[in-house]
Amino acid sequence: MTDKHEQATSRDKIFDAILRAAPTVVADLNTIQAEAAAILTESPNARPELLAEDAAEALMRRVEKGLVIGTSCESIPSLDQLPETVKGFLEQYALPAELKVQDKPSLQSLEWVDIDTDVDIHNDNTVGLCFAEYGVAETGSFVVHSNETMPVLLNFLPLYLIAVVPKSKILHYMDDYAAIANEIAAQGTTPRNMCLISGASGTTDIEGVLVQGAHGPEVLHLVIVEDQ
Amino acid sequence: MHANKPENFEQNVSEALSQPNLKAVIRRTTDKAEAKRAEAIANFPGFENARIQGQKVKDHTIKYMAHYLAEFEKNAKAQGAIIHWASNAEEASRKVLEICRKHEAKRITRSKSMLGEEIGLSHALDNADIDRVETDLAEHIIQLAGDPPSHIVWPAMHRSREDVIKLFRENHKDPTYSEEIIELVRSARRDLRTKFLTADIGISGSNFLLADSGSTCTVTNEGNAELTTTPPKVHIVTAGIEKLVPSMAHAVPLLRLLTRSATGGEITQYITFHNGPKRQGDVDGPEEYHIVLVDNGRTKMLSEGMEEMLRCIRCGACMNHCVVYKHIGGHAYGSVYPGPMGSVLTPHLNSLKVANKQTHACTLNGRCEEVCPVKIPLPKLLRSLRAKSWEKKYEPLTNRFFVKGFAFIAKHPALFQLFSSCGVIFMRMFSKKGWIRSMPMTSGWTRNRDLIEPGTQTFMQQYKKMKKAQK
Amino acid sequence: MSDNHVNVGSASVQAIETVDITNKRVGLFVTCLVNTMRPTVGFAALDLLEQAGCNVEVPEHQSCCGQPAFNSGDDEGTRQIAYETIKQFEEFDYVVIPSGSCAGMIIKNFADLFEGQNEWQARAQALADKTYELLSFLVDVCNFVPQGVELEGTYTYHDSCSGYRSLGVYEQPRKMLSEVSGLEHKPLHGHSECCGFGGTFCVKYSDISDAIVEEKIENVLDTKVDYLLGGDMGCLMNMAGKLNREGHTEIKALHTAEVLADMATEILGDGHARK
Repeated sequence: MTDKHEQATSRDKIFDAILRAAPTVVADLNTIQAEAAAILTESPNARPELLAEDAAEALMRRVEKGLVIGTSCESIPSLDQLPETVKGFLEQYALPAELKVQDKPSLQSLEWVDIDTDVDIHNDNTVGLCFAEYGVAETGSFVVHSNETMPVLLNFLPLYLIAVVPKSKILHYMDDYAAIANEIAAQGTTPRNMCLISGASGTTDIEGVLVQGAHGPEVLHLVIVEDQ
Repeated sequence: MHANKPENFEQNVSEALSQPNLKAVIRRTTDKAEAKRAEAIANFPGFENARIQGQKVKDHTIKYMAHYLAEFEKNAKAQGAIIHWASNAEEASRKVLEICRKHEAKRITRSKSMLGEEIGLSHALDNADIDRVETDLAEHIIQLAGDPPSHIVWPAMHRSREDVIKLFRENHKDPTYSEEIIELVRSARRDLRTKFLTADIGISGSNFLLADSGSTCTVTNEGNAELTTTPPKVHIVTAGIEKLVPSMAHAVPLLRLLTRSATGGEITQYITFHNGPKRQGDVDGPEEYHIVLVDNGRTKMLSEGMEEMLRCIRCGACMNHCVVYKHIGGHAYGSVYPGPMGSVLTPHLNSLKVANKQTHACTLNGRCEEVCPVKIPLPKLLRSLRAKSWEKKYEPLTNRFFVKGFAFIAKHPALFQLFSSCGVIFMRMFSKKGWIRSMPMTSGWTRNRDLIEPGTQTFMQQYKKMKKAQK
Repeated sequence: MSDNHVNVGSASVQAIETVDITNKRVGLFVTCLVNTMRPTVGFAALDLLEQAGCNVEVPEHQSCCGQPAFNSGDDEGTRQIAYETIKQFEEFDYVVIPSGSCAGMIIKNFADLFEGQNEWQARAQALADKTYELLSFLVDVCNFVPQGVELEGTYTYHDSCSGYRSLGVYEQPRKMLSEVSGLEHKPLHGHSECCGFGGTFCVKYSDISDAIVEEKIENVLDTKVDYLLGGDMGCLMNMAGKLNREGHTEIKALHTAEVLADMATEILGDGHARK
């Protein structure tokens, strides 16, 4: 499809031009890595203060202060309480007793009783429920990784989204998540997508007015599970 | 709306200044961005340290650009990405089109990417009769209106709610008849949803290219990037080679700076790292994943002493705080990139010959540099471009004549003082009651304002007299 | 934007030093605009420096800082002018300029002009190191406190971009003006926002400049003051010229030095001995 010769030429042209330019330098790997690492040592003085020492506490305070767009949060002692919490959420927004629960055994095996857990999220105005890999206190984020049980779209198509965040997986800073991403990469198990989600979908594109639910969720609810 | 040309800058400016509502329309957005940014920074005492760190990340990557670019290529390939290289805009667009043709794509979705605009991808796709769906709300609005973007963060800031109501009613399948902004957003949500799910190819840009993992990264508030890049079978990323950073940890300080500088928010709602096509067993995601790495003037900037400009993370703070941008708006610049950063970039993407006037449309007041999250010395770079166009004689002859004449006189102090004394006598011939309303050769000044009347003699003349009297 | 003074990010504020200046030679660089348009400012600067105990000299063969050529991109022309300025002023202990813009030109740009010419670059840097904007020199170096100055009325202050951003001049003029009895300060919305002067910019892009200064004077008029003060003749002429064109003769634009030297009542630019 692409002319092999041109492909080689453009690549070579770009590398040649970079190497010829005065501001660029060639050095051994150790030197480069040492310089790169030195820059990261400045991070502790170059990031915002958290609202509490404990990461989960800091994340919750951030949400409670209204700093995370369109987001509310609550904390439950164990995953068993989740169906009850979801029921409360649906009632709060006067929604029917139906949603899409992520196809994850630990979620599917809960006692959902009379709640339908398999609606089609391709329709609009649905509710989704996902299990986050991590939380980040600095930004009020939850993190999802695409895999066999986690469709990326589950986090984007529903109008309401409930994200379950295991308390033990709440990190202080984005830097901490970057370190974890490094570990995952070292194991060779990097997923296709790693999404840091920090609030409901929003836009200010019409006259600068903030509207939630531009394409993705209008309402986001974080449920922090203490024993997870 | 026609796209302005950079070489017609003066005419574009006149048109912009004669639009009665333009200033109010711009201010609606920039004033809010300015105030919110100030607030975000007040809440982040480490912001200055973050700027220093952010600058170091970019400078380090630029210094070892060849190394990091090769690392990125190797690691992205290992993740299953197909890498393409493009020296210029035409080649980049062509490579994207080739992928589209190979897959017989009828509909493509795009999430906002300034690089996509820069390489003329919209036109290329339209000319190839591919149904191009812009998914960022602002891009959607300007696509319907046929406008070029007027700001790099809010491309539709020049369009009012009334314009949007009309555009949506004319174009949406199931439009709203409400005039509420929330209903307009819902209308776009409905209209774009089916398009997201039926596109053959999704095209995104990338805010960062992580060398150590080969990841690309999209940053949005709407969530349209993930909706663009997940459902179709093919995901194409177009990215400028200056987007490189060593690792995710190095992207973090830049993420802290980006949103605060752009909108005054603390972080965008969606930051997604893309690593290759979908994995075996994944529920969704593309089967093919291409990355088109684009030079288009970037290595030229590197070799011409403009490497500081390659730090730019496209936040738009420089234009939000620019007194000139705030009065003439983005379209007058005649380029994809307006404002201070645009006036530095455009001469390298296009040519200095056609885009040198913009480098002069700046008071060198330094506000842009002051708010730049990665400390790009924009006034210094703009001035250095003026020096280049002076060397290449791109300036109008009359300007060159006046500046050269001035320099000649000023390098001879005695002559300079003589000219000053004569100038005072000349000016006083036109003054009335302490003011000069008009005078030959000063229409640039007196067209819009009066000139104070000079003293009866220059300071030097009076001073010499005083000294003599004292003796 | 906020009227509160925010920390000036990139500006390097000149080190505060307290020295005995009585036996130091100070060269006064008058600037073209003061020389031709408003000599009073030159006499006011002279007077203030002498009051502060300086031994002031005004070299006869001075011209321009070179900004019109520099900002037009004519580097060679600028160098030619800079040679003269360096030769005229390098013998002094201090060089003082009643303009943030011209002082900034020498302090920030002169040395860079002589890249590759070691001797001249060193001389340019040496000059830059002893060059000061007038108002900051009076406070930071001379510890000067104006005494017995009276002016009845209200004033607002426009911080010129070069003074404020590239030299960090902010507190100094306000501190000295607070010593003037009868004079009351009113904050200016957008006090550090460019007035649209920009040297050659204001004639090259007159209409953009006009749109900017129009907004500036709206902010000035909102303060309902008697005096608009600043430290740069360029900005002051621009704002005064616009005020007059629009018929707002009730506000008088003055250089801060004129007020501090008690020369605020002079309308014409002629020099007078201190009353």
